[in-house]
Amino acid sequence: MRMGEKLKELVRKASTVVGWRTVSTVAVLTACVAFVPLRARGQFGLDPCCAIISTGLNTISGLLKNVVAKPLASIQQIQQQTANFEQQVIYPVSAITSAQALAGQLHTQLSKLSQFYRLPTHSATLPAPQRLEQVLLSHDPQRLDQVSQNYSLVYGNVIPPADAPDGLRNMVDMSDAEAQAALKKAVELDALADIEIAAADQINQQLQTAAPGIAPILQAQTAAWLVRANAYTQSATAELIRIRSIDLANTVAQLKLSAGDTNALWNGANQSLQRSSH
Amino acid sequence: MTQRRFHRSLLTVASISALLLMPVAANAGMGDIISLLTTITGTLKNGVGQLLNGIQAINAGMADLQNRVVWPVNVISATRTSVTQIRAQVSSLAEQVHSIPTNSATLHASAQFESLLRGGQTANFSQIQVSYAQLYLSLPKPDQATAIQRSLGDMNDAIALGALKTATASDQASEHLLAIGDSLEQAAASAAPGSAPILIAQAQVSDLESQAMLHRILAVQLRQEAAKLAYRNALTKQSAEANKNLRNNLQQIFNRTMR
Repeated sequence: MRMGEKLKELVRKASTVVGWRTVSTVAVLTACVAFVPLRARGQFGLDPCCAIISTGLNTISGLLKNVVAKPLASIQQIQQQTANFEQQVIYPVSAITSAQALAGQLHTQLSKLSQFYRLPTHSATLPAPQRLEQVLLSHDPQRLDQVSQNYSLVYGNVIPPADAPDGLRNMVDMSDAEAQAALKKAVELDALADIEIAAADQINQQLQTAAPGIAPILQAQTAAWLVRANAYTQSATAELIRIRSIDLANTVAQLKLSAGDTNALWNGANQSLQRSSH
Repeated sequence: MTQRRFHRSLLTVASISALLLMPVAANAGMGDIISLLTTITGTLKNGVGQLLNGIQAINAGMADLQNRVVWPVNVISATRTSVTQIRAQVSSLAEQVHSIPTNSATLHASAQFESLLRGGQTANFSQIQVSYAQLYLSLPKPDQATAIQRSLGDMNDAIALGALKTATASDQASEHLLAIGDSLEQAAASAAPGSAPILIAQAQVSDLESQAMLHRILAVQLRQEAAKLAYRNALTKQSAEANKNLRNNLQQIFNRTMR
């Protein structure tokens, strides 16, 4: 069957189903769709739109080359130079490694240094002085309460009330108190020195692997410890000042007591002479 | 008849839908394209370009600051040379001053003792003790002095000897600290600005150790002062007791005379 005959047969069948008017409407609509104009596609740059786009893209390309790429290249060059400068002049790996290695060497030397002060310096020979000396050189603040007891065994107790005037007893008690306080402060100082050495040791260990950027943090930590150390020094110096002041005050008090005794003697002698003359 | 009408309606709806759903080509005008390209070029020129120029200027300024002001290579080299020169001049001078002997004793025993004290050798602790006893005598025997007097003497000797031993340890430690200082100065002579903070931190750590040693010496000084005060105090106590005994004895004599 030919194509035309087939189409006629199809139209006839459709018209029997939906009617001639509907078939004709569909036919008109199909023809409209078929004849809608499609967009024309230009070839070989003949389309005027393509010329404008081409010019625009060329302009953009030129701008990217001159306005963007050149400054970027310059920035890259500067940053490369800066990186080289930092690697070769500011942070050369060899200098950093060398400084870290020195920290290791110093660690050994500092360990020797603290060992010197750990050598025993005990020298007492009698039992009571030996016991006091052991407490005094213990570096142990937990044993501070043993100072007073052992101190009394060597230097004696406070004078009984019947044996001396109150003024003298007070002076003696004050002197004992200051001497014991100084001895206790000495034990504290030894213990603090141990702690400082331990802190220095730990910081030094960190320095052996420290990066230059980390070093200032360790510097700050060490500086903080130095501030503490200075505070302990001040505290110990204050104790020294106190003990020397008490010593000086004792000397002056002896003079005053002597003057009082001389005056009493003088009065007594006068009274005796007056009685004799009567 | 009804079925026929339904088919007809269906076909009509399908045809209209097909027409409505047909893709229509978007047609941009030439003016729109030109506007778009102008916007892009404007952004590149004014937005991106100016910003990049600004960044470039900042980078160049910072690099210049680092090279000329903060870390000028010639000044770094000059500083290293200066460290070496100072080390050669002042450090050796200080070392010479430090090594001048201060021994002053003239007699054999005292000269020997002084030599031990200033030797700075902790290995000599036992010799110091022997030499001290030779120079300052041993404790009186129990029948030559009271127990308290012997205790006081022994304690004073112990404090004095302990202090002398600590002074010897301190001398030896000082030599090590000097060596550490020397090593640090030597390292500073070849240090880079970036490695210097590590050296500074090491110097501070050594300083902290030195402070700890200073505290040990201060502790010794405190013990010495305390012992001196306690000793004088003990003498006062003994004097009070002696006075009491004298008073009692005189009273007894007076009572006997009155009878």
